[in-house]
Amino acid sequence: MKILLIEPDKILADIYAYALVESGHTVSWQPDAQQAVLTADKWRPDIVVLELQLAAHNGVEFLYEFRSYPEWQDIPVVVLSAVPDVSLSSVLQSQLGVVAYHYKPRTTLEQLLKTLDGLAISA
Amino acid sequence: MADLSGESDVGQARLLQALAEQIKMPLMHIARRAELYRDQDETRQTLLQIEHTANLALRLIDNYLLSTRLSQMTLALEPVSLSAILHDTAEALRPIARQYNCELELSVAGKYGPVMAHRNGLQAALLSLGHVFIEAGRQPGVKKSRVTLAAHRTSGGIAAGVFSETAELTSATYQRARELYGRASQPLGELTAGSGAGVFVADSLLAAMAAPLRVASHQKISGLAATFIPSRQLSFV
Repeated sequence: MKILLIEPDKILADIYAYALVESGHTVSWQPDAQQAVLTADKWRPDIVVLELQLAAHNGVEFLYEFRSYPEWQDIPVVVLSAVPDVSLSSVLQSQLGVVAYHYKPRTTLEQLLKTLDGLAISA
Repeated sequence: MADLSGESDVGQARLLQALAEQIKMPLMHIARRAELYRDQDETRQTLLQIEHTANLALRLIDNYLLSTRLSQMTLALEPVSLSAILHDTAEALRPIARQYNCELELSVAGKYGPVMAHRNGLQAALLSLGHVFIEAGRQPGVKKSRVTLAAHRTSGGIAAGVFSETAELTSATYQRARELYGRASQPLGELTAGSGAGVFVADSLLAAMAAPLRVASHQKISGLAATFIPSRQLSFV
């Protein structure tokens, strides 16, 4: 699967990308929303993994823009964020098509991979 | 007399929140890196322990954020050498700068006498600030970012701070972010992707030594700095 990883921290991005590539996925890392939209347009990802705390435009703004394009309506978005807001999670899932919400400090690589592999199987 | 205890409680709570937010990131690095390598390394048991410790610490910090407030903190001032503190801070930041492909520079033009500050508090503030600027410089495909630890004379004393071409803060934005901190998850979106916690750790520590953090520039590069009053007592030594 082609995974667009939107993660502002370089070290964490390296770790996630390494784990995803080891599991057979292809990864494009982008640290901010603007670059992520451009990459999505050129690269056509199968899944987006998104941190909500991004510089300039946050992850929710990215989601609204991302979902405004008809061709990206059905691309699964997995939120992997340091924001622990449960109420935000339900809003994102019901209104913006977020398929899973992982609180980053308590999500192991194994749990993330399990979610992504599950999406890959159902795709 | 005005009752300042409530205000102090709020300040201390915000500092604690900032500290807790800031420490999450290195703990996540430890936890996820340990998990990544635990099946590929001879020191599997050690890495498992690291992973467990870091995950436990993350959980504790989250709980602590909800339940505790720091007691009142006062920082006693003493004559300290800014040059020495900046040098020590740069050395402490170099390992993390290397991980982020960041070129860390020290710019202490001229000789300064001692200033009045709290040695450990100032170093902690500059470390926090430096860490934020190093993290903020990351970009895929960009080989190196550059962060400068610097001191220079101003009309009010000696300014010391952290500067980077990545930082594009205005005074108005920073003032607004200060007001929002603790109530908004991302008050410093122009500078950092996270909570901006390190900036507010520095802000709180420097405010406690009556040297508030301000938007500043050094050799036409913008950043954040605090101004310190030279120590008259030792200026003749």
